[in-house]
Amino acid sequence: MLTMLTAAVLASLAPLQGETDTTIAVPAGASLSVNNFGGSIVVHAWAQNRVKIHAEHGSRGGMEASLAGNTLTLRAGSRHGSPSVVDFEITVPQDMALTLSGTYTEIEVDGVRGPISAETVDGSIDVRGGSGIITLHSVQGSVTLADATGRIEVNSINESIELSNISGQIKAETTNGNVSLWGIKSASVEATTINGDVEYEGTINDGGTYTFDSHNGDITVSVAEGANVTISVATANGDIDASFPLPFTGLREKHRYTFKLGTGSARMEAESFQGDINLRRPAEMHMRQKDKDKDKHRNHNQDREEP
Amino acid sequence: MNDQWTDRLSEYVDGELANSERTALEAHLATCAECRAIVADLRKVVARAKALEDRAPKVDLWSGIHARLTPGRRPGVTRPWRVSFSVPQLLAASIALILLSGSGAWLALKPRQSAVVTPRPDPEFAVLNVSTRRTDAAIADLQDVFDRNKSRLDTSTVRVVQQAFTTIDRAIAEARAALVADPGNAYLNLHLADTMRRKLELLRRVNAIAAAQS
Repeated sequence: MLTMLTAAVLASLAPLQGETDTTIAVPAGASLSVNNFGGSIVVHAWAQNRVKIHAEHGSRGGMEASLAGNTLTLRAGSRHGSPSVVDFEITVPQDMALTLSGTYTEIEVDGVRGPISAETVDGSIDVRGGSGIITLHSVQGSVTLADATGRIEVNSINESIELSNISGQIKAETTNGNVSLWGIKSASVEATTINGDVEYEGTINDGGTYTFDSHNGDITVSVAEGANVTISVATANGDIDASFPLPFTGLREKHRYTFKLGTGSARMEAESFQGDINLRRPAEMHMRQKDKDKDKHRNHNQDREEP
Repeated sequence: MNDQWTDRLSEYVDGELANSERTALEAHLATCAECRAIVADLRKVVARAKALEDRAPKVDLWSGIHARLTPGRRPGVTRPWRVSFSVPQLLAASIALILLSGSGAWLALKPRQSAVVTPRPDPEFAVLNVSTRRTDAAIADLQDVFDRNKSRLDTSTVRVVQQAFTTIDRAIAEARAALVADPGNAYLNLHLADTMRRKLELLRRVNAIAAAQS
């Protein structure tokens, strides 16, 4: 049980030309909770047991900070009761656990090594780093996570999800948007969308479980040579296409096929109602990604050249 | 498929096998992907069951369901029992749990219509008839709550959520239409149940967000 060490308002409603700057010493193992309404929360990490806060806000707004026990809490404040728009830029100890929330709030985290919880209604979430339990939820914004390890749960409603260089248990879900998983090292992956594509490039560990599901989109999954996996693919109206021979040694059901590669130790389900199921070698996935990047670069240049 | 072990997988998952049997079964699992798949499904069912909220049903459903799962036995006749799922029951239970976990939905298995998804090279499907009336009702209730509270949300958020509802509703309608043509298809049944669960989860989530805005 945490001991309530101090409970002090360290900075409140102290606008100086719409800005507040303060640095707060925190005990080792402290966590940070930030609650914003509109604006942004940007978090960086450093190797000090202090939290440095820079907040930009309107002259009628401000921020409130309190340290209770091991938790430092920052809130957007207002002198007149209505929520204010605050842009937080916060530098925290590298291992600090973060709980970040907002309504019309963009959230960005870079370089933190601890657990991260981030939730916003209208805004994107972009996180690099993190370990342990990482949960990222947005309604209207995209969610991006890179270079993290642990138990990952990522959720959006109307935008895409991109995970890269992740190790650990992964659950990613959106309704309208693609789910893209690259450079994954995991024995447990679940990636689902209703209206979008699902891409997976990563390991297939012996004994692991991998679930990829869409209603309208295509599923494209990398399967390395030598993988030991039992793959079940199902589609109601799409096609199944593999760039390597499929040994149909297992089940054959209407709309569903199961086959075993190697010892079949891992289990993979790839299902799409309307879309295609594509099984590819990792090298092909990388080529495909390169082509995509080239197209993106070309489109970007065209946009810049257009008057 | 090793029939010797198929009926013991539930006991294995429940940790009820003797050491020697467990060792033998684990040796079998190392070489049998189908049994491993069933074990994984059983574990999913157990995990989902553990995640369910305790909620008393409005009526006692078990006697009816039990009678239907075990033809020839009448409701009300009790004897010592242990839970042990066959593969067909597992599929039915999976669908039920998906629906129940979202809504406390009523799963009605019509007489003589149980799921038969036997993992054999040439499987036979019987009709799996899942009534989704209660789930539909739960969705309607949550939709009603959303309609009452959506004014608390920004109009652009409401528009996005409505768009997501439309996407899911279309997916549900397409899955239902496919099931009309192929009612015994296990994939389609599970896909429909899972899509409906996602509608419920989305409604719950946006209702919670709307409530938090008050």
